[in-house]
Amino acid sequence: MHHSTKKWIIIKCSSVILIPLMLWFIINLTSIYDKDYVELVNFFSKTSARILYSLFLIAAFSFFSLTISEVFEDYINNEKIKNVATKLLYVFAIVMPLITILSIFSLN
Amino acid sequence: MYEKNPLSPHLQIYRWHLSMILSITHRIIGVVNIVAVVLICLWTISLLFGEENYETIKILFQSFFGKLLIISLSWSFSFHMLSEIRHLIWDLGYGFDLKISKITGVITIIGSLVLTILIYLLGKNLT
Repeated sequence: MHHSTKKWIIIKCSSVILIPLMLWFIINLTSIYDKDYVELVNFFSKTSARILYSLFLIAAFSFFSLTISEVFEDYINNEKIKNVATKLLYVFAIVMPLITILSIFSLN
Repeated sequence: MYEKNPLSPHLQIYRWHLSMILSITHRIIGVVNIVAVVLICLWTISLLFGEENYETIKILFQSFFGKLLIISLSWSFSFHMLSEIRHLIWDLGYGFDLKISKITGVITIIGSLVLTILIYLLGKNLT
């Protein structure tokens, strides 16, 4: 299978996974965003919330990094700049959700 | 050699129509959403610094600006979800007809507004 076909399939699969997780997340965010610190920590201490939030972050960063790399593909002409930008994007898409997931699992 | 590779055509070449506006909006909203998700990550990480340090963020979220922010985010998420479903339908080979494409475009716009209201009401009644 061609590299681009694989990438397209992964983008579409992550999109299908992301849609229900986005809906779950935005409904819950609307219900907790203005709450007190203790209520927020209680929310993120629930196992179900921790798992769903982690899945949301993994799906979101996978989807966004792949689609933004497509934008780089479309609009950056210089091959070197494009490769560096894409690699930086992928590193960021791994580090950011990882730190966040570790943070919520550290909350008590 | 690579310098001569063709890029996507520039936007000003074409006459603007609904599908084009939605396609561009989909990309812009995608970038807005990734910035929002990064900020949400930072907000989550900020909880590690304790209750006293969280006070400033709490005041911001409890203000009018906080409410505006969450409603805007609900809309950008709603738009992105519906627009992505529209793209998935296209990927399955349906909805390419010009008339159907216009109808699904209008549904995406109106649906995103309706979904924003539903998300806000559902979220506020969840707790």
